[in-house]
Amino acid sequence: MTLHLRIWRQAHAQASGRFVSYTVKDLSPDMSFLEMLDVLNEELTKKGEAPVEFDSDCREGICGTCGFVIDGVAHGPRRGRTVCQLYLRDFRDGQSVTLEPFRAKAFPVIQDLVVDRSAFERIIAAGGYISVDTGSAPDANSILIPKEVAEGAFDAAACIGCGACVAACPNASASLFVSAKIAHLALLPQGQPERHRRVLKMVAQMDRENFGNCSNHGECEAVCPKNISIKQIALMRREYLTEIWKNFRAL
Amino acid sequence: MTFWPRSSVAKKFLNGLTGLGLVLFIIIHLAGNLLLLTGNPDDLNRYAHKLESLGPLLLFAQIGLALFFILHILSALTVYFDRLRARPARYAVSGDAGGASRKTISSETMLYTGLVLLVFVPWHVISLKFGPGMAQGYVTELDGVAVRDLYRLVVEYFQNPVHVILYVAVMLFLGFHLRHGFWSMIQSLGAYHPRLTPLWYTGGLLFAAAMAVGYLVIPIWIYMNGAKI
Amino acid sequence: MTTLAASPKLISKAPSGPIESRWTRHVDALKLINPTNKRKFTILVVGTGLAGASAAASLAELGYHVKTFCLQDSPRRAHSIAAQGGINAAKNYRNDGDSVWRLFYDTIKGGDFRAREANVYRLAELSVHIIDQCVAQGVPFAREYGGLLDNRSFGGAQVSRTFYARGQTGQQLLLGAYSAMMRQVEAGRVELYPRREMLDLVLIHNQARGIICRNLVTGQLEAYVGDAVVLCTGGYGNAYFLATYAKNSNATAIWRCYKRGALFADPCFTQIHPTCIPVTGDYQSKLTLMSESLRNDGRVWVPKKKGDTRPPNEIPEDERDYYLERKYPGYGNLAPRDISSRAAKAVCDERRGVGASGKAVYLDFSDTIREKGLDYIKEQYGNLFEMYQHITAEDPYRVPMRIYPAVHYTMGGLWVDYNLMSTIPGLFVLGEANFSDHGANRLGASALMQGLADGYFIIPYTIGDYLADASLPKVKPDQREFRETQAEVEAKLKRLLAIQGDKTLLEFHRELGLLLWDYVGMARNAQGLQQAIEKIRHLRQEFWQNVKIPGSNDMLNKSLEMAGRVADFLELGELMALDALQREESCGAHFREEYQTPDGEALRNDERFSHVAAWEYAGEDQPPELHKEPLVFEFVKPTVRSYK
Repeated sequence: MTLHLRIWRQAHAQASGRFVSYTVKDLSPDMSFLEMLDVLNEELTKKGEAPVEFDSDCREGICGTCGFVIDGVAHGPRRGRTVCQLYLRDFRDGQSVTLEPFRAKAFPVIQDLVVDRSAFERIIAAGGYISVDTGSAPDANSILIPKEVAEGAFDAAACIGCGACVAACPNASASLFVSAKIAHLALLPQGQPERHRRVLKMVAQMDRENFGNCSNHGECEAVCPKNISIKQIALMRREYLTEIWKNFRAL
Repeated sequence: MTFWPRSSVAKKFLNGLTGLGLVLFIIIHLAGNLLLLTGNPDDLNRYAHKLESLGPLLLFAQIGLALFFILHILSALTVYFDRLRARPARYAVSGDAGGASRKTISSETMLYTGLVLLVFVPWHVISLKFGPGMAQGYVTELDGVAVRDLYRLVVEYFQNPVHVILYVAVMLFLGFHLRHGFWSMIQSLGAYHPRLTPLWYTGGLLFAAAMAVGYLVIPIWIYMNGAKI
Repeated sequence: MTTLAASPKLISKAPSGPIESRWTRHVDALKLINPTNKRKFTILVVGTGLAGASAAASLAELGYHVKTFCLQDSPRRAHSIAAQGGINAAKNYRNDGDSVWRLFYDTIKGGDFRAREANVYRLAELSVHIIDQCVAQGVPFAREYGGLLDNRSFGGAQVSRTFYARGQTGQQLLLGAYSAMMRQVEAGRVELYPRREMLDLVLIHNQARGIICRNLVTGQLEAYVGDAVVLCTGGYGNAYFLATYAKNSNATAIWRCYKRGALFADPCFTQIHPTCIPVTGDYQSKLTLMSESLRNDGRVWVPKKKGDTRPPNEIPEDERDYYLERKYPGYGNLAPRDISSRAAKAVCDERRGVGASGKAVYLDFSDTIREKGLDYIKEQYGNLFEMYQHITAEDPYRVPMRIYPAVHYTMGGLWVDYNLMSTIPGLFVLGEANFSDHGANRLGASALMQGLADGYFIIPYTIGDYLADASLPKVKPDQREFRETQAEVEAKLKRLLAIQGDKTLLEFHRELGLLLWDYVGMARNAQGLQQAIEKIRHLRQEFWQNVKIPGSNDMLNKSLEMAGRVADFLELGELMALDALQREESCGAHFREEYQTPDGEALRNDERFSHVAAWEYAGEDQPPELHKEPLVFEFVKPTVRSYK
């Protein structure tokens, strides 16, 4: 099969980018989308042109490295998958496809489809953990956690930090990413002691990173490769507002 | 601590909370307005008179309502300006993921439908609430007391087809605003329930439709039946 | 058994005496560093997977100043994240007779008696604390309704000692270690350097004192000074091109250290995992593993008839060969990885393989679906089934899965002593990057265990012992040794870019991968290995004359990154073949066709090969020098590993 690609090319962070069109032929429907880009890059290399730079690593949808926008949708046309889990059978022979990098002020473009997501690191550093030094943990079974609670925490903990939620959000909000970590830890008994401090610090850091506000479009949930629900955002809001209310009463 | 919330969560909370207040207001306001359709002019005039006679209480409610309205707009505008800052470069192709997404025309045009209401509300208040009163001859007698004949004012107002068309159009915008606004307000307040949230989401559509139809029926009905009154 | 004297280069420092107390006695004897002095030491941790993140967090908690480096854009993306199945711990929560001893025994036996007893016992001992630590960090392990931790049994084990978090155990463990590390970032004790690739080690007075990294965004070479270097850079399985590794996993850091004098142990011990999704087409860039836990409920079979092309559902029961159950009735479908993989290869070589390529066997769930119901399968393996369907577009609930072995893990790596220090003072190697605990074959659910044991519970003790004693004069990143090493790195990058031949990197990498798979794969023989060595040398020569690498050095250039890695694989591949050639026995994952029992089982030679083979670099195009560390078994008597 054949695909017509229109790809955002940008030489470096400060350069102004533009779309360049390519046609890739003799493809097999069983190839993955990124393998198709590998083929394109082989052709470009042989022609002496610069290959299209894109991030990818595990190529099985768990590391969160890959991700760009295909025809206006982060991670492309299939729900619950990353770009690396797309196959050409998910596209039509002869289809025209536009590839753009994730676009957000907080995710500056480094080159072509590669963006800088280090804002996420700073948000986690602000409080996305349970403070437990190595060696000080009690026996694992001394903390009883009902199955439903563990499952609920897992649903939020499954976040791979790919940033598609930000890319897809009409407001470029990071609420789904941030709330997933807050929910994961707030639901577990181990997360209780720092629960209050955590939500305030993480939300404050999120706001410092130039993400937008959440207007409840829910587009983030739709593109999330791990199907993380916006119920986590509601949970984050409850946690946050409870803290503000407590601080207010303390005054 | 400054009064204006700086955090994204608080901004949306303020927007949701003021939205909730405004939702309650439009429900009550619609209920009052439907008195126009009873066929008896005294019903509306009595209701209006009662409200007026509340005095300072009414003033307090009106100021509160105005404050909610202003805060709702300001919080929405900050969200909008944050958005412009957060995504300076836009996508060349826009797409919808579908599936679990709640992104709709309504959710994407909240600012614009809101701005329409922002222009509409002062016009509406000036032309009716602060419009011609007893001094201009809109007087009727109710249980022996002379009161403002608001009913006649409204009926005359909607004899003008331009008014009717504009009102109907604005109410359609209100419906679009509420379609996303209703459930979004609940989500912004932090309320989520695995079974109730889908109900709110669907309920939001029904509520929006009910409000839009409820309000736009009034000018149309008056226009069509006004000559007979 | 003849006693082999250890090479003077390989002093294992493993303590003697009763095995149960070796580690505690060793720790008691290790030197300590005053808490206020710890912050004067800078530790460079390269790689941020389970071993690296846990080491960085734990060292920083102690007060050391830590700098971490990773080539991903975020430390959370290291390939530990892809481990699906679980992590072993000798908790005996099931009351099924598990113990530290039994985990030790299983690991030694599973590794086919090619690992150090003291190390393996310590691993089993520490496994218990790992689970405690991870739970305290908020890792959402699977639970029972009563709120207690759930366990399952895993390939090669007869007890249920595997803890798991759906099919994403590695991800959850890594996020736990990552979050502990991020807490130290906030505390100012860990500095993150993402998108950096370590390209060389800087030695001063024969001590590891720094690294040269390439900033993958700007292309700049950067020098970092430290008092010790901790390598946690994972395994080298991508030498085979098609493997279950992440695309960027590579051997460059350990290989450059090898060339600086660190000995490389048992490079031929590469694990081939039995349950991967088979290859389709020529463009495939990687292979995807299906968790081995599937073998708990799936039955492996092929048709009895050669070249049987009927669809699986049309092959009647009595024409199916459930070969694992037939050959290994004791373990059946749960036989260890090396045995299952080789058995799959054997039936495919007999032309009884299935699928379009004939290089696959069935993994059939229909019996379990009949007995335990569809819901049971959905709950246990839902996400794996979904993944299989994504990739193959076949519904495994209705059609048996097709699986085939793929390169998955490398037991070999840089040689380390009991303190996890390589033969270069100050260079520590943790996790898959070292050779230590798995011998010739790794059991399921023990890689995560080893990475975390090394990072959380071993390096924090042993590194202090080195730092307390070492004489570490102050060094600067602009002093001669750093400048010289950096100049060498730069020259190599320039040389790569200057070739401008007409074959691409992928072509070279694929070719090398095929060579290794064919000759240094599941079955090896002397003639093939000799051929492989010749062919790899030719390929390497051709690479340095004819590779075409686009772009320049002063920008993000993924082709250039990959070029350095492939160049190193082209050297490492030869060492793998050489090591396999020299090891004239079959053990674990290393199967030499010349050494097998009449019924085709591996034939170990403890007389000659009960040792670690560690290779010392002797210079460009010089044969490396072989050193041996004898393996003495005082507690588990080497037996023929039987899973019948």
